[in-house]
Amino acid sequence: MSLLSQILQYAIFGITGGSIYAVIGICWSLVYLITKILNFTTGEFIMLGGMFTWGLSALGMGLFPASVIAVAGTMVVAIVMERIAIRPVRHPSEMTYMMLTIALASIIEGVALLIWGAEPRKISPIFKTEVLHLGGATIAPQVLCIIAFMVTVTFGLSWFFNYTLYGKALRASALNSAGAKLVGIDIGKFRLFCFGLTGGLGAITGIVIAPITYTGYDMGLLDGLKGLMVAIVGGWTITGTVMAGLALGLLEGFCAGFISSGFKDVFPLLVMVIYLILSTYRFSWEGRKA
Amino acid sequence: MIRGIRVIPLSIALAIFLLPFAVPSPYMIAVLCFIAIYGALALGKAFLLEQAGVFSLGHPVWFVVGAYMTGIAAVWGAPPLLAVLIAAAVVGILAYLIGAPLLRLKGIYLICATFCLIIILEITIVNMGSITGGYNGLMNVPPLTIGGFIIKGDVSFYLISWALCLGMLWFFNNLLDSREGRALRASRDSEVAAMSMGVNIPQYKLKIFVITAVMASLTGSVFCFWVRYMTVEFGGFPLLVELITMIVIGGGRTLYGPLLGAFVVIWLREFIHTYIAKLLPQMTAEVDALFFGVIIVLILVFMPGGLTGWVEQCRDWVEQCRDKVKRAYSGRRVHERLPR
Repeated sequence: MSLLSQILQYAIFGITGGSIYAVIGICWSLVYLITKILNFTTGEFIMLGGMFTWGLSALGMGLFPASVIAVAGTMVVAIVMERIAIRPVRHPSEMTYMMLTIALASIIEGVALLIWGAEPRKISPIFKTEVLHLGGATIAPQVLCIIAFMVTVTFGLSWFFNYTLYGKALRASALNSAGAKLVGIDIGKFRLFCFGLTGGLGAITGIVIAPITYTGYDMGLLDGLKGLMVAIVGGWTITGTVMAGLALGLLEGFCAGFISSGFKDVFPLLVMVIYLILSTYRFSWEGRKA
Repeated sequence: MIRGIRVIPLSIALAIFLLPFAVPSPYMIAVLCFIAIYGALALGKAFLLEQAGVFSLGHPVWFVVGAYMTGIAAVWGAPPLLAVLIAAAVVGILAYLIGAPLLRLKGIYLICATFCLIIILEITIVNMGSITGGYNGLMNVPPLTIGGFIIKGDVSFYLISWALCLGMLWFFNNLLDSREGRALRASRDSEVAAMSMGVNIPQYKLKIFVITAVMASLTGSVFCFWVRYMTVEFGGFPLLVELITMIVIGGGRTLYGPLLGAFVVIWLREFIHTYIAKLLPQMTAEVDALFFGVIIVLILVFMPGGLTGWVEQCRDWVEQCRDKVKRAYSGRRVHERLPR
């Protein structure tokens, strides 16, 4: 393989990973902006989507019905979680919510380990065609599915938030929840909606990536954390999150290719932390902020 | 009574130190030893979170680095006490170098960055197999020797770990009343007000961050010499969930709350391992975390103050009852006070 095709190959890996992180980042910011909760179970929804689908196909169900049930099941888990664990908390603060969702994440992880065991599982890809070749690099058809999914989510959500009544109401409640309540927006319903949407998107992500990365009970933590970093670095906006996600993915791809595959998770996270710290400084070329 | 000496805490401490000679049950001593080590960790973390207002999840990092540094130095032939000092010094310098830029972040941003540190450390240790032993962990840690005497056995480590734990409790208690402690409490209540009084908040926060890191490293050293084996599974996400459970159960507002929480959590874990493990064969740290997760959710929903908060509520209730009784028996004064 020539250097050019190598670079192309790693870039394809990077964009695949980056699209996944972008979707996960959007899930984090959906919940954070409306409810001010850092939902550490976001990563577990991805795991649940993949594991539900694997479990149902192991019972002999086809891929399509299995994934539909998996998405519905994960949404139900997310909504029930919001209803019975998160809403009844008295005197909530960001710290309480964080402890609560970390606890919920460890509950979901433990239950998944008990039900499905510790081995990594693989589910079959959506299109069973041959790999494509592009300039010496190979592309699995599933990669195209992942990228298409990310693009659909990005544009779909942008349209939803900008051009529909409900989307505008959601944005209003993210900006100022007291004001939104005053004009008659039912925040409680929107909280449920956000959790459900996050669960559904996470589950689809899990189903789409499982043929490539495998799915296991412990995958949620690392992927979820990367999604969170991406959402923060992207400033909780959809465009920013997608850019940050692709940047993280590309960094990871090139790091895995040229430096060391063992440290491929460490280096991008380190870069993101350093970026966060640098963003607290004000540099001379930025001028004065109002 | 002698002035300046508090009788109740001293007698509790004395009872703890005399306990292994009164109750010669090796199992119980070992569990209590664990309680002291985890309690010391939870104590430092709760101090950082609740008293100093630094939302750092990084405690498992310093524990793991301290334990590994001690183990590696001892394996490479350093005298054990020197190894402990090396580990504490390395962790202190590391915490200063990382903390100085990291503590510029606030709130959730600090939470995320420290969470990343936990993951980064875990992957790094697993990948540096030639030094740390990778997945298998660091084996063959030599025993703790002080001046030629080999220290082993649960009783001696019980004494060491409880001395460390109670020492930390005493230290933090005094710290709260010192200049630093008052500055930290002021900055927790209102950062702007504290700054306008001339408190250099970042400096105090960094100081307390480094101090708790070094304490966690000392705990890690004791743990490493006691178990004489170290792997990443003792740290990381499961440890984080356990520490949070301890703080939530005990209640972080008081200093002794996390200790109480450690007591409950460790006994609960032993109970889970002895009774529920028979029903569920695949018990690992992650399945423990499942039970702890359920407990955290239940306590945050039904008893947000934790055990110590609950005790305080009971005390308030008793006082209210006493006031009512008093008022009932001195009707005249109440009538005089009524039209206010």
